[in-house]
Amino acid sequence: MERMFAKPFVASLEGHVDAVETMARKPETLDIVASGSWDGGLIVHDVSRRSRLLHIEDAHKGKVSGVCFGQQDRLLSCGVDRNIKLWDSHKGFEESGEEDDTGAGPSKRKPLSIFPGKAAFNSIDHHRYDPLFATASNLVQVWDETKSAAISNLTLPTSTETVTAVKFNLAEASVLASIGSDRTFTLYDIRTGKAERRIIMQMRSNALSWSPTFPTTVLLASEDHNLYTFDIRQLNTPSQIYKGHVAAVMSCDWSPTGLEFVSGGWDRTVRIWKEGVGTQPEVYHTKRMQRVMSTLYTGDARFVLSGSDDGNVRIWKAHASDKLGIVTARERAAIEYRQSLKARWKADAEVNKIARTRHLPKPVYKAAQLKRTMLDAQRVKEERRRKHSRAGENKPKAERKKVVIAEQS
Amino acid sequence: MDSLIAKADAIKPLNKKRKTDKHDSRAKPGPSTKKSADADPTATSVAQHTTLPRSLRPSSPPPEDAKKYSHIPNKKLRTHLTRQSTQNARSKKLLKDAELLLTEEAGLMEVEGELEKTWRVGQEEITTAAGQQAAQGRQEWKMDGGPYRTRYTRNGRHIAVVGSKGHVATFDWQTGTIHAELQLRETCRDITFLQDHSHFAVAQKQYVFIYDRDGVELHKLKSHIEPTRLEFLPYHWLLVSVGNPGYLKYQDTSTGQVVVEHRTKLGACHTMCQNPHNAVIHLGHQNGTVTLWTPNLPHPAVRLLAHLGPVASVSVDPSTSGRYMATAGQDGTVKVWDCRNWKGAVRTWNARGGSAVLEWSQKGALAVATGGSVNVYTKPSIQTPFTAPVSPPLYLTHPVPHRPLTSVRFCPFQDILAVGHSAGVSTILVPGSGEPNFDSSEADPFENKKARREREVKSLLDKIQPDAITLDPSFIGSLAPEPKLSTAVEGGHDIPYARLPRYERLRVSGKADETEEDRRDGAGGSDEEGADELAKGALSKAEKEKKKMRGKNKSLKRYLRKQRKNVIDPRALAVRKKLEKEKEERRKARAIASGQEEAPKPSALDRFKRSS
Repeated sequence: MERMFAKPFVASLEGHVDAVETMARKPETLDIVASGSWDGGLIVHDVSRRSRLLHIEDAHKGKVSGVCFGQQDRLLSCGVDRNIKLWDSHKGFEESGEEDDTGAGPSKRKPLSIFPGKAAFNSIDHHRYDPLFATASNLVQVWDETKSAAISNLTLPTSTETVTAVKFNLAEASVLASIGSDRTFTLYDIRTGKAERRIIMQMRSNALSWSPTFPTTVLLASEDHNLYTFDIRQLNTPSQIYKGHVAAVMSCDWSPTGLEFVSGGWDRTVRIWKEGVGTQPEVYHTKRMQRVMSTLYTGDARFVLSGSDDGNVRIWKAHASDKLGIVTARERAAIEYRQSLKARWKADAEVNKIARTRHLPKPVYKAAQLKRTMLDAQRVKEERRRKHSRAGENKPKAERKKVVIAEQS
Repeated sequence: MDSLIAKADAIKPLNKKRKTDKHDSRAKPGPSTKKSADADPTATSVAQHTTLPRSLRPSSPPPEDAKKYSHIPNKKLRTHLTRQSTQNARSKKLLKDAELLLTEEAGLMEVEGELEKTWRVGQEEITTAAGQQAAQGRQEWKMDGGPYRTRYTRNGRHIAVVGSKGHVATFDWQTGTIHAELQLRETCRDITFLQDHSHFAVAQKQYVFIYDRDGVELHKLKSHIEPTRLEFLPYHWLLVSVGNPGYLKYQDTSTGQVVVEHRTKLGACHTMCQNPHNAVIHLGHQNGTVTLWTPNLPHPAVRLLAHLGPVASVSVDPSTSGRYMATAGQDGTVKVWDCRNWKGAVRTWNARGGSAVLEWSQKGALAVATGGSVNVYTKPSIQTPFTAPVSPPLYLTHPVPHRPLTSVRFCPFQDILAVGHSAGVSTILVPGSGEPNFDSSEADPFENKKARREREVKSLLDKIQPDAITLDPSFIGSLAPEPKLSTAVEGGHDIPYARLPRYERLRVSGKADETEEDRRDGAGGSDEEGADELAKGALSKAEKEKKKMRGKNKSLKRYLRKQRKNVIDPRALAVRKKLEKEKEERRKARAIASGQEEAPKPSALDRFKRSS
């Protein structure tokens, strides 16, 4: 029944001229989200009212490559123009509009401070408690908000990569993770001031997200169309592989409950996965939504935001057949009963088929078929090779073991 | 970093699977954990400030009768199964506690002293003793219009009466409101309500007609020809009819399509009843057979020779989940059968007065209307096996002067029995026959308009497909039998590991869980049997598969038949000899298998024996 009522699209927030590159959620609120785009524009949205709290049209020259919220309503953005800018995200531009000398409107807002850097920045993330933030360019640097230069440089001395994303751990605020363009994933600790562990994978990752409930789980969105969760205590194999996308996965984000996460891919789909279940995610797509560059969960875990190439931030329901209004206790009991019925009968072929089929756009469907054919052919060839060689010479290798090539510490 | 890892270990430690560790952790739970905690001061200091969120803390200790799955190495599967079994055990206990909610008590009639009998108590005494509300159940409706048949709705609130001459009436007998009254002026043989009192179907002379609550004719079902009896299966929304041509038709009243029609090939059929537990239709035929039908099979699932002479009436007991069936024949006998074991009738007796009409009540009381009176018998006497053809002890009897008595129906949640006869319908009180506690989500006698509409929609959503009807309702959801394919593991099959069925893969890797396997075929029986089989020189499964003769070997036999027997042809001789040898081999194998001959012991001189 829930397939009939699955209408996940809620609204589209416009305002950006070019593709939306990054999005960030304000930590202590449910519905305030900042997004940065390729034209240098920075918008702070109020998702529940679907309005813009702040719109800065030329925050950076070139694209805004990273956005994060700091302490007390402050916003940090970094761009490829080698600058990091600290903004005040108060919605106060109506009052200041007339008194402004230049007579310009709210778009001429000035940043509170500018931190210049040596190279183009790719990503930024703020420490949970202290006034520190970390940036990723060709190095991972830690900055203090009060100082205009980086206070420390955390990268391994031997690395010559570009770091594409950096994120602080949510439980232990001094641990930092980053992903680099040479297919690496690195863990740093601010207190020791250096990189602790590093793994090199088969293919490069595009995005990174720490789990909000279990402190050592990290999710990586990889170029080889898969998502991997790693437990940092055991980095030689991923703890779960999530296969579903048919093109590179560009972004990922955990739900605040820690039980689900959302990923947006180059194949123009947004997929919502359950933790531990590596196949058959929920798929959202629209004709108007092009390559999805960033995805985000709202703080109440009911909505998912996707920022895509066409410049729109779209709001989707996290559970496609949820009722948006008030759900009475009886309704909730009926919904839970139906869910447990589905769980009980999920082994039945017809029920399973109805539960897992999703409509896909034709190019995505065809790409998935082609991928499946190619992988099947590879597998059959492997099996035949194994059959016709001496027993025990080449044993099948587990899928999990193929992901990480090397581990360095 | 260390404190991060310590935090995570406090919640869910990474277990490195080593055999020694597993044994140790199970053997000594106490001291080992304490030691490890003391060893790591960071962990202890952090663990004091780390707590699991309340929703993840265990709620109550698992009950003792929950199954433990400690033999399964996979942790995820083990936790899932233990959680399932504790949930099952807890809900069973809660179900038992829910019996507190059954506030009503069943009725009862008791006599004091040895000389008094319950059947001597007449209806007047019962009505005076019962009280005004219950006494409303004792009514006589005088109608002319031929012998009457009645039917109650599932909640017992509304009743439909139809007379053979075409008088149809539906009304709420508790409030006395008549919904519809029709004079159809043609023979009407049966009536049934559909999902509730809002629609009813009448088996008229030629076809089945469906009417609205107010008697407006909605449908004429032309495919049901000369219907004699109707039944409605409420969970499947199927209207079943059987008629004079001997066809049993199932029609889905929600979609309107005829699901299936079965040729009974036993002529006109005049009795039908449904088993409310598994929705199987019981038909009683003119040659004394009772057949059980499901929509899946074109032939009856069970065929039973019940009586000498036509079967007059069939009824199934709802109180024991459809275990007992009562049949009455025109020869005057009434038999009670056990539906699980059709070997012989549980109880037989002679009903004085010829063919009887039968009905079971919700609490297991059997009403038999024969001749000029209605007799009611109660459990346990009618359900315990009894050899002598003596009628069981009578509970209640009531004479009805108007013959013939054409129908008896118990009202679902009341202690009332409606008897249809040639001068109308009488209802009598039978204490203890109705179920006192109703489940309002199934059938609610006090539902209002809104509840009725909600229930109708919900039951449409929960409609079961007709091919789910089976004799054994627990069949769906049970484990399928092992497939007869020879396994790819032994023998020269070249199915690669990744394409094997799951169980074969587990067997290859040595992880198959044999404890829950259902040993059905004899070859896979106990270990002693298996060893004996091998000792007797039986072939393995793969060898048997290889040597199995496929087809009838027709060409060889045809060749032999074409040769004239008096012409001695060396080729024919050789062929005949070969066939005889094969036959001898087969006989020998059978004899060895059954244990009559001993297998020839292999000796070193076997290689010198000439193969003859």
